[in-house]
Amino acid sequence: MTARERVGISEFKIASAPVELVTYGLGSCLGITVFDPEIGLGGLAHTLLPKPRAGMDDSRKSKFVDSSIRLMVAELVENGASMKRLQAKLFGGANMFEALQEWSGESIGQRNISCARETLEEMGIEVLAEDVGGNFGRTLIFSLESGKVTVKSVREGQKETEY
Amino acid sequence: MTYKQLTEEHLDALREISNVGMGHAATALSQMVGETIYLHVPQVTLTDIANVPDLIGGAEQVVVGITLQVRGDAQGNIVLVFPLECAERLVSQLLGREQSGEVFDEIGISTIKEVGNILASSYLGAMGSLLNLSLLPSIPLLANDMAGAVIDFLLIELSEEGDQALMIETEFHGNSPDDKLIRGHFFLMPDPASLEVITNAVGGLNDSA
Repeated sequence: MTARERVGISEFKIASAPVELVTYGLGSCLGITVFDPEIGLGGLAHTLLPKPRAGMDDSRKSKFVDSSIRLMVAELVENGASMKRLQAKLFGGANMFEALQEWSGESIGQRNISCARETLEEMGIEVLAEDVGGNFGRTLIFSLESGKVTVKSVREGQKETEY
Repeated sequence: MTYKQLTEEHLDALREISNVGMGHAATALSQMVGETIYLHVPQVTLTDIANVPDLIGGAEQVVVGITLQVRGDAQGNIVLVFPLECAERLVSQLLGREQSGEVFDEIGISTIKEVGNILASSYLGAMGSLLNLSLLPSIPLLANDMAGAVIDFLLIELSEEGDQALMIETEFHGNSPDDKLIRGHFFLMPDPASLEVITNAVGGLNDSA
């Protein structure tokens, strides 16, 4: 059986084929995968917030979208990945409770998504696929063998989609 | 005040007032469903936000979650988590209809939300009169999904302030045989900014006792 490594909230991990990286139950949180297809090396991040605001404690870099991406990419490159080959995919950023959006304007999920797109564009990393937004939770299984990400959701009956 | 400044005495006091609050909530639920509701001793847990999904039964567990904001003199959130089959049982019992698997039609949803509303109101009412604070629940919101997804907006809120969550948890269950058992978890998660209000109120309680 393929080894599976779990990525918790506010955490990122890198791994190489044939490992699978998994993160469970993303709601408004954003899951980000970055993959180098040539050497089968990639990472998965489970992030909560876009960027630290002024004065915010930013000691845990891995809870922010922006710094997670930068740190994860740096670690991938250190381990032999090429910036030119890296491809990203984005998942999650849902708005689980409709009413929350009315209170706070743009939902936190949306802000996380926009932040990830910006950071990746700045770094010149292409976003190959996205399954974001909506009002349902997602579990991600990222195969470092194929680079494919399987998204599982339960809201409208059990569903599995591959990206 | 931050979570880290909470003393053992503070946590004990939180456990105690939560016990009183939950006692009232259980009575309200008993009256609704017409059976005795039993409570476990409340757990007060100060933990890293990353551990919270495991504490409510695992991130991938499919649950019915009802969340309410606490408003008034102190702020925070209340989360009620029912395993899916228990929420279905609760709805069919309250509406006096067959358990059909179609719980989440309009009336099923508002029934579950109303259960959340009554539990939270009686919990906060008891806690408030004990501490002499005005505590009111907001309109309940409901999501039927993976537990991790249902609660992560709360963790996002908490992560703006730090990396820790304070959870006051009570498990409750009815007395029916296993296949008809109603059980759930009730969580109060006070905002760090409101800790001082609560601990001061608790202090006043000790002084007058």
